[in-house]
Amino acid sequence: MNRRGFLKAAAGGLVVLIGAGVGVYSQVPVIPNRPEPDPETALGWISYADGRYRLTLPRAEMGQNIATGLKQIACAELGADWDTVEVGFHDTTAPAVKATVGSESIMLFAEPLAQACASLRDAIDQGRDLGEVTLVTRPVSELRSLQKGGLIGASPGIEQGMGIVTGQPLYAADVTRPDMLYGRVLHAPASVEVGSRPLRWNTAAAQAVPGFVALVEDTGPSIGQSEGLGIVATRPGALDAIAQALAVEWQIDGDHARADVMSAIDVDTHLAGGALRHTVRDDDPAPGRWDVDLRIDVPLAAHGPIEPRAAVAEWADGTLRVWAGTQDAFYVRDVLSSAFGLDPDAVVVQTARNGGAFGGRVICTVEAEAAALARAVGTPVKIQWTRAQEFALGYHRPPASHRVKARIVDGKLTDWNHAQVSSHIFFTSGVVPQWMQRATDRFAGDDGVARGMAAPYQVGRAKVSYDVVRLPVHTASWRGLGAGPNALAIESAMDEAGLAAGVDPLDFRLAHIDDPLLAGVLNRVAELSSWGAVSGEGQNGVRQGRGIAAGVYKKTSYAAAVADVSVDRRGNVQVDRMWCVHDCGLVMNPDQVRAQCEGNLVWGLGMILTDDLPLADGHVVAETFGDAPIPSSTQVPPMVIDLLESDRPPQGAGETAIVAGPGAIANAVRAATGIRPQRFPITRASLVL
Amino acid sequence: MILNGQVQDIPEEWANEPLLYLLREHFDLKGAKFGCGVGICGACTVIVDGIATRSCITNAGDVEGAEVRTIEGLANDDVLHPVQQAWLDQSVPQCGYCQAGQIMSAVALLEQTPRPTEDDVDAAMDGNLCRCGTYGRIRAAIMQASETVR
Ligand code: FES
Ligand code: FES
Repeated sequence: MNRRGFLKAAAGGLVVLIGAGVGVYSQVPVIPNRPEPDPETALGWISYADGRYRLTLPRAEMGQNIATGLKQIACAELGADWDTVEVGFHDTTAPAVKATVGSESIMLFAEPLAQACASLRDAIDQGRDLGEVTLVTRPVSELRSLQKGGLIGASPGIEQGMGIVTGQPLYAADVTRPDMLYGRVLHAPASVEVGSRPLRWNTAAAQAVPGFVALVEDTGPSIGQSEGLGIVATRPGALDAIAQALAVEWQIDGDHARADVMSAIDVDTHLAGGALRHTVRDDDPAPGRWDVDLRIDVPLAAHGPIEPRAAVAEWADGTLRVWAGTQDAFYVRDVLSSAFGLDPDAVVVQTARNGGAFGGRVICTVEAEAAALARAVGTPVKIQWTRAQEFALGYHRPPASHRVKARIVDGKLTDWNHAQVSSHIFFTSGVVPQWMQRATDRFAGDDGVARGMAAPYQVGRAKVSYDVVRLPVHTASWRGLGAGPNALAIESAMDEAGLAAGVDPLDFRLAHIDDPLLAGVLNRVAELSSWGAVSGEGQNGVRQGRGIAAGVYKKTSYAAAVADVSVDRRGNVQVDRMWCVHDCGLVMNPDQVRAQCEGNLVWGLGMILTDDLPLADGHVVAETFGDAPIPSSTQVPPMVIDLLESDRPPQGAGETAIVAGPGAIANAVRAATGIRPQRFPITRASLVL
Repeated sequence: MILNGQVQDIPEEWANEPLLYLLREHFDLKGAKFGCGVGICGACTVIVDGIATRSCITNAGDVEGAEVRTIEGLANDDVLHPVQQAWLDQSVPQCGYCQAGQIMSAVALLEQTPRPTEDDVDAAMDGNLCRCGTYGRIRAAIMQASETVR
């Protein structure tokens, strides 16, 4: 594939129509295939010259401030001063690494980095200042950076903090290249899983817009089944006017069969048709009457990073260079090399700081668009998606429909049945083409949907099962994957079970825990918040309540939370205060682990009060944060965070508290109002007096 | 216009662009960010004649003759503005993308109301969204800066 189109310089240097017809792109997905980090590879992340070190960050920086955390490890192990270690972001000429997902950046990367730095330190101590370092691995107990003390457990100023507060260019959209133009790829207002393509458009009107440069028909691989039409301009503000003037008429291949997504995933409808296809656990709960029988529904939700994704692409001598804010530069590189028929070495993807990612940036989209448009016009092109494109063309948290039942005998759970229907996370339609979905869906479940679905409590004989349905909107990873909504369903049911048993919610949970670490975070959050009922009616019919919840993320990272809420007569919920206790083993940077808890609590609040993504006829119609709101400053309460440091190696911290915050708020609303929230986000109407 | 203290011309072809793009792409001041383009998120906030202004919905031509301040112009040589310093001391930024807008809104607030109440902070800052959830630290930083600004 090496179409250059027909580039014609018109009078005034402007170029009009490029390419005829659309390229044919492979329908075989690129399978990510990259090694676990090891100390040998880690030698490639750190180097030394003239008394200074350079740490090439093997992870994407997206606000977890991992640049700071890994720099602490490097400095501690090398015995180097903070200012002598310069941190750079990797490009794809660096050793290949896994995508930055799953809260793994300390858990999996700390030790390899420490080993590499220890070997480098040895080499320098032996007087060497040139050549390659040989790795000598040592026991973890001899790695200084994996023991508390000095920089480990401290909270130095965040890396790039100065750049952020002074407005330095740190993000992909901040990149500028010589003769760079600005692009956009327009798509039909239709489901991305229904075929669509541009049919007719008004070239003359578009050409008349000042700043117009080109129309591009070959816009790279489609997004799902949606083929686009590219526009290029000399100024970004001209793109809106050009899009409007073009007045593209789209050909759309009919409706999607499951356009009504909440009906398509209705758990009760599926259960009426028989057992769900995938089983997490089944020890045959006894039939009979249930004491708790709850339906919990969460809708689609966008990631809503404040930065819409962006990329700059530049071609030179048959090679392609791309700047991108991505969680997976190597995957983007592989997709680009496959799509544009280039040797992988002929594509270099340079990572930039992500303006929020949250699981939303692990596939290749805007990068391919920029590459296609830059190839067509023969000069670098920058694309930043509009907010509406983020909603329409990105993938989202799948909606989920839960049915949870519990039986209690003498104050103890004896039986439990949790069923869920959702859509794909790992096998997202965003990368698994339709022909392949038919094969995978028959056999494979989806561990992303199942994440955290096995309750962390002793629930007796349990059946835990789920199913996944292909939807007209792309769904995939979102902070915590299935764990957040799954924990919300579990914690809602635990709360109802405690009420049915007539036992205090904290005591009820503790009576069903055999994991001392989980009990540890619960006991501590109870102590911090002076746990005890606060329900009651305040002035003007304001109902107040307190709720508690806890959970485990990826089996190793623990959190518990308490929330106080007020609900006024009209049904408005205000979260007044939150407490959160987190145990992720050894903590490198307590301030930044706390920051991740704060962020997760805000996400938890969003899950209960704001997150929704409106659709019509199977496609996203949200265009602004007004249509798909995220929590705002006045909705967010004061928070008290405490970290417990059990004597364990470091575990994940970026997603854990999302298993506790939502349940705590929902349970507080229940305590305040006597009404169990079952559909999220909570509507005022459901709580009005 | 006067941009960060210097007189600058607004080129003819940029006069109908949003001020945000004039700043970012013509003057290469990348601090103000595009977040929504419709005035809802606050990522593009700059200060025009003393008022926190959404540059994404402000026509570049309309700031002719006005004084425009961006985050790049806050520090005095190497000395950070007290708001910038407070942002670092409180380790406010996570991803950081919203923070230039947050900082400019906070600077405008403190210039008008050096001792803001909680309600003043709510009124000035509620239009600046942060998906990472740094709101608590932003409040703490504003309170710290208000001590210094006095
Ligand atoms: S980009 Fe201007 S308010 Fe969002
Ligand atoms: S710090 Fe990420 S959006 Fe505010």
